[in-house]
Amino acid sequence: MGIYDQTIMQSVARRSMTVFFLVDTSGSMDGAKIGTLNQAVEDTLPELKNISSSNADAQIKVAVLKFDTNAEWITPVPAEIESFQWTPLNAGGLTAFGEACFKLEQKLHKEAFMNDAAGCFAPVFILLSDGAPTDSYQTQLDKLKNNPWFKKGVRVAIAIGDDTICDTLEDFTGNRETVLTVYSPEMLRKIIRFVSVTASQVASKSSNVGQQSAPDQTTTKQQDFIDALQQSTIMEPADDDSELGDIEW
Amino acid sequence: MAFEEFNNGDQIALENGNVATIIEKLGEGGQGIVYRVSLDGKEYALKWYFPQKISKSDGFYKNLKNNIEKGAPNDAFLWPKYLTAIENGSFGYIMDLRPQNYHDFSDILLNKVCFSSPSATVQAGLNIVNGFRDLHRKGYSYQDLNDGNFFIDPMTGSVLICDNDNVAPYGTNLGIKGKARYMAPEVVRGLTRPNNATDRFSLAVVLFFLFFRNHPLEGERLVRIPCLTEELELKYFGLEPLFIYDSALQANRPMRGIHDNVIRLWPLFPKFIQELFQKVFSKDCLSGKNRPTDNEWQIALTNLKSCIVTCPNCNDETFIDESLGKCINCGCPIPKQRILECKDGKYKVVLFPGNKLYRCHTDSTSDDYQEVTGQVIANPQNPKLWGLKNLSDECWNTEGKESKMIPPGGVLLITRTSRIVFSASCSAEIIY
Repeated sequence: MGIYDQTIMQSVARRSMTVFFLVDTSGSMDGAKIGTLNQAVEDTLPELKNISSSNADAQIKVAVLKFDTNAEWITPVPAEIESFQWTPLNAGGLTAFGEACFKLEQKLHKEAFMNDAAGCFAPVFILLSDGAPTDSYQTQLDKLKNNPWFKKGVRVAIAIGDDTICDTLEDFTGNRETVLTVYSPEMLRKIIRFVSVTASQVASKSSNVGQQSAPDQTTTKQQDFIDALQQSTIMEPADDDSELGDIEW
Repeated sequence: MAFEEFNNGDQIALENGNVATIIEKLGEGGQGIVYRVSLDGKEYALKWYFPQKISKSDGFYKNLKNNIEKGAPNDAFLWPKYLTAIENGSFGYIMDLRPQNYHDFSDILLNKVCFSSPSATVQAGLNIVNGFRDLHRKGYSYQDLNDGNFFIDPMTGSVLICDNDNVAPYGTNLGIKGKARYMAPEVVRGLTRPNNATDRFSLAVVLFFLFFRNHPLEGERLVRIPCLTEELELKYFGLEPLFIYDSALQANRPMRGIHDNVIRLWPLFPKFIQELFQKVFSKDCLSGKNRPTDNEWQIALTNLKSCIVTCPNCNDETFIDESLGKCINCGCPIPKQRILECKDGKYKVVLFPGNKLYRCHTDSTSDDYQEVTGQVIANPQNPKLWGLKNLSDECWNTEGKESKMIPPGGVLLITRTSRIVFSASCSAEIIY
């Protein structure tokens, strides 16, 4: 084997790319919503593992922040996707979205979660919520929106059901196109999978610089994600949606 | 309508009227899904595109059709064989399946599998270069060359080049997006679309990854930035690229603890290989000018292959070259060896037992680095005596104090003979 012996060689240096799941676990999420969400995220993990394990550019990590009456990190530090296991979340209490923004912002610094030696790609933020914040969140959200890691990341919100206040979610993502409203468990399952996989694919590789009409211009990963979303048919009603009948959330 | 995946047993109509049957889904990528199918009693792969993924899809379909009609540049390509009919706004094509002994290049980069030897690594580099040289010679450019385009047999260095659906005649661009770390700086900057010259940059990046397991532009400068944003990618891969072993500037050297592979491997390679990488990633070449051609790489890697010998002390393979005086594994000194300089120094072969001559060395018109025409052997009775065995079907002649003829199967004792004439227009000098 000599100089390329597997025991001496190391994997190429990879940047990390963290997928943040920010999950509303307030009382209104109780029952089918949180159950479907738990199942859907768990089902998506093997696909994220595949993206990471065959990717010589980036290693995918996962961080989970749940918020109800308080906000709490489920992962003390971002976990490597290969070893990460989803802990089923329970729902109950209020919707401390402001505190969630505060706790997230605290970690988006080189001294906190974004400290990989080989560097990082900008993260993915997936916010899942079905209602409206019950705390005064605007100051904390504004502070989060000024965080460079947040600004450079791919931001998407999944609004679960009609009661969601989409304006807050749009304020979070920065675009109406990246607030996706779902009306059925099947749709929620599909969207969680699509968003997690697509956003991870976009964020865990080099950007599509050089694809612009004018020289020396860049496109944001948020825009790349929006393009991927618009090219897909994911938000179109599936042929079999009718079979779900009158499932109530 | 929503995109539906095929089910096992579904029948797919081909453009030529034949029908393929889905056996199973093999995988999914950014552009589409790959299935195992059966066709005429044989198994193949079917790549089926997502309907929305293909820009200018009519041109894309026509281009694929054209490529199928023209055929693969050489055997190293998993080339499209048949097109399907268009169905529900999309289509696919049939190609051969990847044999099981071939692995993704990324598996090698991630150290999940490893090459059996430096020879197999160099052989893989040669096969990649040769594949792209033949592709370019046929008037095509590849346009999206990156680490996802190769399957490699790590035991032998055999290579299969896949994802050939973006291959297009020179000057045509199908609007396929490349990968930033593999795109030439002028493409990253949006100054030009991918073409043969930009393919040459991507090829050099792939070769650097293959030999040194690091990106050629990713050293200290990139480690110092915590988040690789689009603006910084444009800066470091487009506007201000700097090779990690730039011969003049040291600002982007690899860092211990992060880039350990390249720090260990770079000094083990002969100087002529280091210099070729320093040239292709020099400021001049990074700006798009004077990049080494596919042919220059093929000659350099053929020469690299010819300076690999087995160390008599540790039995592992090492490079022998004027710039390296000791085994790269065990460090034992290896005395300077005689070199056979063929075709006025274009090719060089270290005359050390086990080393082979190929047709490119003994035939004036050939650049074949695979067909063996001679081999250095040690005398079974006296292993200190080395000879060059003629494994070609031509007679060789020597010029020196006394000229001799070495018929096919004969052995020339490597002594003071200075010149070997392989044919009227092809000869070689033995350099001491």
